[in-house]
Amino acid sequence: MALNRITYFYITIFAVVVGLMLALQFRTASSRDLSVPLDRAQELTIEKKQLEKDVNQLQEEATDLESKLEEAVKSHAGAAGALESELYKIKLYAGLLPVVGPGVEVGLDSTPGAGMRYGDHEGYIIKDEDLLKVLNDLRGAGSEAIAVNGQRILATSEVRLAGNHINVNLTRLSSPYKIIAIGNPGTLKSSLELKGGLVEYLSEQGALVSVETKEQIRVPAYDGPLRLEYARPAQK
Amino acid sequence: MKSYRWAVVLVGLVLGIMLSAQYRVTREIQASEPVQRARELSTQVEKLRADRDDFQDGVDNLRSQLDKVTAGPLVSEIKEALEHARVLAGVSELSGQGVEVTLNDSNVALKPGQNPNLYVLHDEDILRVLNELRAAGAEALSINGQRLLATTEVRCTGPTILLNKNKRLAPPYVITAIGNPDTLESSLKMKGGVAETLQFWGIQVSVKKIPEVIVPAYSGGIRFEYARAGD
Repeated sequence: MALNRITYFYITIFAVVVGLMLALQFRTASSRDLSVPLDRAQELTIEKKQLEKDVNQLQEEATDLESKLEEAVKSHAGAAGALESELYKIKLYAGLLPVVGPGVEVGLDSTPGAGMRYGDHEGYIIKDEDLLKVLNDLRGAGSEAIAVNGQRILATSEVRLAGNHINVNLTRLSSPYKIIAIGNPGTLKSSLELKGGLVEYLSEQGALVSVETKEQIRVPAYDGPLRLEYARPAQK
Repeated sequence: MKSYRWAVVLVGLVLGIMLSAQYRVTREIQASEPVQRARELSTQVEKLRADRDDFQDGVDNLRSQLDKVTAGPLVSEIKEALEHARVLAGVSELSGQGVEVTLNDSNVALKPGQNPNLYVLHDEDILRVLNELRAAGAEALSINGQRLLATTEVRCTGPTILLNKNKRLAPPYVITAIGNPDTLESSLKMKGGVAETLQFWGIQVSVKKIPEVIVPAYSGGIRFEYARAGD
């Protein structure tokens, strides 16, 4: 009788263990199908590529600054020279210098004979939103410098409807609009001409849209007033 | 006595088989390609991000060192111009009066058949808010800690937005802008303005005037691949 009880005891324990294993096995097997979706790996790859680019650029920037610093500690003239060349580089990034390079020229025109009133059904008038979207697409496609009718687009440039005009950098622009952007011409052009993209949408609305790739275009510098009343370098 | 032994042997056998099968499956999962790749990639991305931040600190450090070692009346003019250009280029951290605008998806309970896409924030909405702030004289802008440059795009991808080519942000979106707080606030809140149109779709817009907001510097490198200095 005593032996029998021990037997039952062991069998019970084994049965419990086996049951647990079974359950575990079942769970692992069903979670196998939920392996990482492919686009997650894809996304990580893209992020990795961009980060590598960032690191490379920062490394270059650091070497550049180091050589300027070396120059600056040598002599007084060297200091001025180092600062001058740093200023030149930052101005280039800020949009305070004209730049040249390959890119695209985008023409946007309201339908000829369109009424002067906003919302007139006869034709289509280019709105600020249309311009904003075109600029956003061009930025997304990697443009490095953009200008609309000669107005360089800065980080603080507005594109705003004011009556029949559109204000950019507080300057009145009117149709037709010519947007020039420097970057990879093919990428810029195709980002606008995607199926269901902006060129298709605006053309359907009745606007006259053209996109032309250019081997060499010139984007002018921002020449308006520099207004900085509120922003100052943060104290670290 | 005999049947008890047989039972133990049988159970032991089954247990052994289960164990080995379990072990194999677990190993297979770890080795399965997409999982392993994603894992590897994410550690690499993590490491690169740390590297990027290190280099960023290094560059910031070098910039302030360059400012320190150069002194004198001759260079003070250049330094002022440099400070100004850095603000526009977005490579320095700034502070000042301004506003904080918070945007969040709609809190409207949808009726069946309504298009849910109309009630979520789109890149266009964010573009319009940014545009209004710029028109109202914002001097520096950032969204969720990402500085806006002249080349910054805002892209809707699913429930998130994509900024500066690879910075993915999720709602709520907090836009910080430095400028005249009253002008900035009223540019959004005016009648028929952006806040009103967005509120029609239930999208939550709140504007807070703040005496001191921080707009961080752009994190990452800037380099032109196609554009060169013109005449």
